[in-house]
Amino acid sequence: MRILFIDNDGAGFADYIDIAENTNVEQFFAIKMQGRQANDYMIRVNRQPVSRDYVLQEGDRVTITPTKIEGALL
Amino acid sequence: MKETKTLIQVANTIQEALIKLKNERYLELLNQLTTFAGQLQEITAESKKMGASLVHGWFFAVDRCCNSVSRLLNDIPYCVSRIQQLTEAPRKEMPKLSLLVGELNQVKQEFGNIDFDKAENTISVVTEPITLEDVYLGPFKIQLELSRLSELYKSCIYHVIALDPNPAATDEVVTHPHVSNERLCEGDGAVAIRASLEQGRLSDFFTMVRSILNTYNPDSPYISLYDWDGEPCYDCGYVMSRENTYYCSFCDRDFCEECSTYCPSCDETMCLGCAGRCEVCEEPICSNCACSCAECGSICCESCLDEDLCPDCKKEMEKENEEQENQITTTNENKSQNQPGTDNTEIKLSS
Repeated sequence: MRILFIDNDGAGFADYIDIAENTNVEQFFAIKMQGRQANDYMIRVNRQPVSRDYVLQEGDRVTITPTKIEGALL
Repeated sequence: MKETKTLIQVANTIQEALIKLKNERYLELLNQLTTFAGQLQEITAESKKMGASLVHGWFFAVDRCCNSVSRLLNDIPYCVSRIQQLTEAPRKEMPKLSLLVGELNQVKQEFGNIDFDKAENTISVVTEPITLEDVYLGPFKIQLELSRLSELYKSCIYHVIALDPNPAATDEVVTHPHVSNERLCEGDGAVAIRASLEQGRLSDFFTMVRSILNTYNPDSPYISLYDWDGEPCYDCGYVMSRENTYYCSFCDRDFCEECSTYCPSCDETMCLGCAGRCEVCEEPICSNCACSCAECGSICCESCLDEDLCPDCKKEMEKENEEQENQITTTNENKSQNQPGTDNTEIKLSS
């Protein structure tokens, strides 16, 4: 099924992707953000905070934004 | 109802600015393509000249054509890279008004409130008070200038304003380790921030700016939190950064550049209070290197003493010695004149 995935980590990504049916938020994070800690990110589905066991639906909009981003002198 | 109307008006402003931004990027792409086409034409012209020169055996002219082609080729990679960047820019469809209204509502939800300033054409949110490594920095207002959204890739279109400022002691415009003159140093977030604004994802933009404000990067701040409160000079009270302090080992205090000096004899740093002064050369001198003249007791550095005497006393001593020598010489001469000389007198012996 298709969802809109917006990843604000690094250079950013925003596009529709295909995922398996019955994928929940926790599983989705583990697949897309391998090696990262969920606590370091703000996860929103359809602009709302959701529990980790929320099962993603067709057309959902998932946004993952880091809560810690390092600023730096250029 | 009124609020919804305001939201729609703001969303409309944002959409217009984003359309203008897209147009500007396409214009720039066109400019770059024109430049690139011009460069290719020049290379073609040089190539024809080279061909003609070769036919006639004009090798000097061939060399010149080679040099021109080489110069032109140097400029092409940058042009190609820039064109690629512009063509690969997100070619998403323009966000609909409803999506932008949704974004504004989400901003309100995430930050508790969102302010629209119609006169300045800005939207702002306020963060919670920020404390990094026990240094209180206060809440910050993130203010986005909607009318300048089209200048996204040319200048900074948002401000980060300290509402309860606790700036660095040595520079009042630095209100956060990564904010100077209300400009945020985006660091790792720069690309994602630009992308979110270009796609109208306002909530992501404000959230990322907040994330940067809540993160301390000790490797690259304007002023580190360690130096945030600065160090006051023990003498004059001037507040300086720790790396600009001068430590006096004699009194165990820190001083500023104006209130400190060093001993040229041993290179030791000292405050002006602990520093002595050589009475001969008037250079500063520490208590360890200070010597005194054996005659008059004046304080001098070792290099100004000669046989433990200051120049004045040395001169005096030499003068005395000279006088003594002169006296001795005169006395000797007088003695030899008064006594019968044996050198030139004939001695007549009786027969």
